Amino acid sequence: MMLWAVIVAGIVAAIFSAGMLLSRSLYMSAVCLLVVLLQTALIFVLRGAPLLGLLQLMIYAGAVMVLVVITIMASGGAAADQRFADFCLPRPLAALGVLAVAVELALTFTAAPSRAALPVPPGGLATAFSAELFHGYALATEAVTLLMFLAALALLPDKEAA
Amino acid sequence: MNAAIWATVGALFSAGLAMVVLRRQLLAMLLGVELMIAAVNVALVHYAGVFSDAQALAAVAIVIAVAAAEAVVGLSLILKVLRSGKGLDAGDLAELRG
Repeated sequence: MMLWAVIVAGIVAAIFSAGMLLSRSLYMSAVCLLVVLLQTALIFVLRGAPLLGLLQLMIYAGAVMVLVVITIMASGGAAADQRFADFCLPRPLAALGVLAVAVELALTFTAAPSRAALPVPPGGLATAFSAELFHGYALATEAVTLLMFLAALALLPDKEAA
Repeated sequence: MNAAIWATVGALFSAGLAMVVLRRQLLAMLLGVELMIAAVNVALVHYAGVFSDAQALAAVAIVIAVAAAEAVVGLSLILKVLRSGKGLDAGDLAELRG
C-alpha cells in the first residue's frame, strides 16, 4: 500500500515538474512547484520522516511559495515572449556532457559497494535525529539559525529605494 | 520502492536542471533550483530510511533551512533587478559579461 502511495506521489510530482518546465506563465510554474513540494512532503511522511514533511509544508509550501507569488505579482507576472533561452552550447559538447552524466550514474549504481542497513538506534530514528541535530550538528544548526537572520536582512528596504 | 524513489528523484532533478539551463526568466531559474533541492531532499530521506541513518535526516533539516534563506536572498535580488528597470529576462543582465 505504501509502495503504491509513493509511486502515485512520484508520478504526480514528475508530471507537475514537467508542467513547471513547459509552462510559459510564472504563476503556473509556481503552482506546479507547490504541488511538487506537497508530493515530496507526502513522500517524506511515507518514508518515516513526518517532522521533515511538516517542515517542508511550513517552510517551502508555506513561506517560500508566498514569497515567490508576491515576487511574481511585483514583477507583473507577464509570460515570457520566448519560453527557452537560445542554447548556444555546441551540440557535440552538450551530448558529451549528457553521456558523461549517464556513464557516471551507471557506474555509481553498479560499482558502489552495497552498504548494510544499520540497526535502528535505541529510541527510534526520531530520537537519533534530534540527537544529531542538537549534539552532533549543533554548530551547523546554530550557523543556519544565524543565516536565517542574515537572510531576513535582505528584505529590509535600502536607503536608495526609501 | 527503490526504483520508484530514484525515478522520482531523477525526474525532479532533471526537470529542475533543465529549468535552470533552458528558461530565460530569473524567477523560473530560481524555481528550478528549488526543484533540484527538493529532489535531493527526497533522495536523502529515502537513504535515511533504508540505512537507518539519522545524519541524513539532520542534513535534510539543515538543507531545508539553507534553501529557504537562499530563496529569500534570491527573490530580494530579483526584486532589486526589477526596481532597476531591467526586467526579468536573464539575457538582459549582461553588465558583467566580458
